[in-house]
Amino acid sequence: MININALRFRSLEIDHLNLPPGITSIIGPNGSGKTTFLRLCAGIAEPESGAILIDGVSPHQTEVGWVNEFPDKNILFPTVANEIASTLRFAFAPCEDIDRMVTATADLVGINHLLSRDMRKMSGGEKVLVALAAALVHHPAVLVLDEYDSHLDMNCAALVETALRHSGATYIIRCTQQMETAAHSDCLLYIDQGKVLHAGTPAPVFASLSGTAFYPCSWRCRK
Amino acid sequence: MKLVLDSLVVKREGWSLSVNGTFLPGVHLVSGDVGSGKSTLAQIIAGFQKPAHGTVSREGISKVMLSMQHPEYHITGLTVEKECASWGLNAPDILASAMLSGKEEESPFTLSRGELKRLHLACVLERATDLLLLDEPFSSLDCAEKERVCTRINQKHYGITIIFTHEQTTFPRVDHIWEICQGCLVDCGDMPGALERWQHAPARIQDLIRAHNGPRNLTTRDILEAAWQTHESG
Repeated sequence: MININALRFRSLEIDHLNLPPGITSIIGPNGSGKTTFLRLCAGIAEPESGAILIDGVSPHQTEVGWVNEFPDKNILFPTVANEIASTLRFAFAPCEDIDRMVTATADLVGINHLLSRDMRKMSGGEKVLVALAAALVHHPAVLVLDEYDSHLDMNCAALVETALRHSGATYIIRCTQQMETAAHSDCLLYIDQGKVLHAGTPAPVFASLSGTAFYPCSWRCRK
Repeated sequence: MKLVLDSLVVKREGWSLSVNGTFLPGVHLVSGDVGSGKSTLAQIIAGFQKPAHGTVSREGISKVMLSMQHPEYHITGLTVEKECASWGLNAPDILASAMLSGKEEESPFTLSRGELKRLHLACVLERATDLLLLDEPFSSLDCAEKERVCTRINQKHYGITIIFTHEQTTFPRVDHIWEICQGCLVDCGDMPGALERWQHAPARIQDLIRAHNGPRNLTTRDILEAAWQTHESG
């Protein structure tokens, strides 16, 4: 379980929140604090006060995979294969293991054909897939994904969804603006103005958002 | 006014794109898979890249605007207010329309990515253009903001607007659909007939077409009306 208590960071205020294992999706208006919350969960930022504990330890004591919505900010190496391998190389993994794991992970997200390509020549969506492979390659316990799907087409998004569910990560915390994707989560949070206004399984959270643009279109079609 | 793409060929390592097409005034949607060349095509039409072969002819088009998918690439002002001024626009009006009033003195880079996209699109859509190229305009925007941008796009009653996107949920009313399939730009035609030929159509629209109740257009209202009709007739 991820336990959040008395968390304060910039405009974010969360008194008490528990996130179960599985996929947690975060939705809400632009500027509401979603990315800030993800950065805290990933250990990239430290709370000003309060705590986030992932199975009893802080995020930076946990293996975390992070995917930025704008992956250009995180790219370190010139080729796709080297970028995916970076986490394993920083951990001094054996070369033969690195090659095998890079190939397997690239296959999982459908980018084996890009391994020798120049990172600078990747499209926006391809960069997201590379960043996702780099995050998955070391089998982290926690995956934190910031609007990773905003640059993916329908087929790619479906492939990535399958990859996430087979990643072995205990916790996947993701921000998405695709409500159909959010509907397929174990836990859903709606954040607005720095506060978690709704939390729970998708059905009751979306019921609270009925009549707003955040209510899934497919659910409206069923009405 | 028309945009003519004649025998364009773009080649890169292990990848190529062939394009023929004529774009008339109205809203055009260009879809395609990740890495299919949507952004490259937008840059070629804007004149930022040269094709290996072929020509781009702009007839009766003088004002061209390309909105890149990453709003960071457009920023030139040190503050939000100066960014608006750099577009020759009135900051209070733009910030009110983007719901960013009160952030005048902040650096654009301290905004959230969605807020930055809102600011950028508010500036882009306020300018008069003959040819407006929008590369992934809906990425980073929240659901309510996507709908608002769609409304704003449909309020432009002049010129050619081309939207390059893989968006699956929220669309403006469009006049013509194109898609990139297997390295070629395919003309799916005018709406609503284009929907029958659109291979990248969102799953919900494909379901409605299979039920012989395709929507009249792509707006949320059109899709809901078609879904409800299908539900009632089913």
